[in-house]
Amino acid sequence: MGAARNEATGEWLYAGRSVSRMYGNFFFWLFREPFPSRQLGQQIVRVMLEAFGVITIAAVVQGGIFAWLAGWYGRKFSVNYWGGAASVYMLLSSSTTMIGAMIFAARIGTAFTVEIGSMQMSGQLDALRLMAVEPVQYIVIPRVLASILCLVILKAFSDGVAIGTSILGAHWWFDISTPIYLQHVFEILRHPILTTSYVRSAIMAFFIAVNGCGLGFYFVGGAVELGRTTTKSIVINLIVVITVDSLYGVVDSLTGWSTI
Amino acid sequence: MIRVRGVQYAFPGRPVLEDLTIDIEESLTTVIVGRSGIGKSVLLKCISGLLTPQAGSITIDGEEVVGAPRQKLRSIRKKIGMLFQEGALFDSMSVFENVAFPLLYHKTYPMEEIHRRVQAYLDLVGMEDYANALPQELSGGMKRKVAVARAMILEPRYLLYDEPTAGLDPGSAAVVETMIRRLQGERAITSLVVTHDIDLTRYLADRIALLEDRRIVAVEAREEAFRESSPVYVHFIENRERIRQGNASQSE
Repeated sequence: MGAARNEATGEWLYAGRSVSRMYGNFFFWLFREPFPSRQLGQQIVRVMLEAFGVITIAAVVQGGIFAWLAGWYGRKFSVNYWGGAASVYMLLSSSTTMIGAMIFAARIGTAFTVEIGSMQMSGQLDALRLMAVEPVQYIVIPRVLASILCLVILKAFSDGVAIGTSILGAHWWFDISTPIYLQHVFEILRHPILTTSYVRSAIMAFFIAVNGCGLGFYFVGGAVELGRTTTKSIVINLIVVITVDSLYGVVDSLTGWSTI
Repeated sequence: MIRVRGVQYAFPGRPVLEDLTIDIEESLTTVIVGRSGIGKSVLLKCISGLLTPQAGSITIDGEEVVGAPRQKLRSIRKKIGMLFQEGALFDSMSVFENVAFPLLYHKTYPMEEIHRRVQAYLDLVGMEDYANALPQELSGGMKRKVAVARAMILEPRYLLYDEPTAGLDPGSAAVVETMIRRLQGERAITSLVVTHDIDLTRYLADRIALLEDRRIVAVEAREEAFRESSPVYVHFIENRERIRQGNASQSE
């Protein structure tokens, strides 16, 4: 029992070391020649294709749920016309950012861990080094930069889908006037909350991608260990997403950036 | 010439190589034999600079590999090609892209020249008809052939082979063995092969070194190595016996 606990602790410590090493390596190689522009393009396409569907479905579900909640509470407290503002505020301030980042961690962060971990296991990373190609530059940097760009774009898209769904939901279920709803939506959209939520998404994408790549890059072992490392990837990234969101909330409340 | 002097390498809590010394002679094929897990692949990785020994010296054409700065290591590595166990081909690339990869990445030649060179090396290993295939569509033996073409495309002076026939059926193993021998005859490349395959050793080796107890305990020419009194021969016999006993106890 004690030995198993020590082994598990050792594995987590190794995962922590892997991730920290990758942050150092990422910044070390980021500004060195040659910049992997071709790989960046490939990764943007790949990340968009892999994450697009599931983030869209989540956006539809969130839009529907928030429209229902806002409409139901609005009716209960006789403030129907605020439904649009309330649901859009909830969607933009936290929901699409958090849930989008969590889905991204599950879909993309783990994919990076498995992909790079298998490359490490089969000697492909060593093969790159022997061909005088630095694997951090060729494999990791394009994935991290593509993740940052794609999560921001996907967040913008999922915001649009969620707002659209909430407008339809509010109209069908609670007969809230679409022009009034839209008026409140645009009031919220003019607010800095929109910009700050994109900054938060970019920060989360950076952490998710570096953690996912780092765990795969320094992976040691066979198929069973790769499975365990993938689990660690999602757990670490979910903790990171929640921590970044909480810290951002604290900074936000102290600075008053997004206060309505 | 590759000179390895007093090399020591250990994983945390597990020494692998201790005071290991060997010279890899020019234009010859040196085969290092030893039991599985004894550190043969670790030695190849130390020579290619993928692992850094805790002590000792490794020089390639007089240039020190151990502790070499990154740039120096890159230039030393250009002299080395390596065939990894199972090939280590890039899954997402076709055979052509795998072989062309080092040339494309370093933009060494114009595109037409890259095409010409890749085609020539695919011809050389007999894979010219599979240029557009993906690695997962190839057999184990074919993957090794493509990996050899990729390792050779930068025209290295030294080729390191890590268990080139491991996991292959006898037919595919024979094809790979023949190809390696033919390439050596045509190109006169200095080769270092690590294996525990007696047939491969007998077929390829000019010199045979025995890795045992974390160091090289004997280096012999092929003719001497297969005499009954030779430690290399004794190793193969003992190894075969050990495998037989292992199989027998498993079937019981």
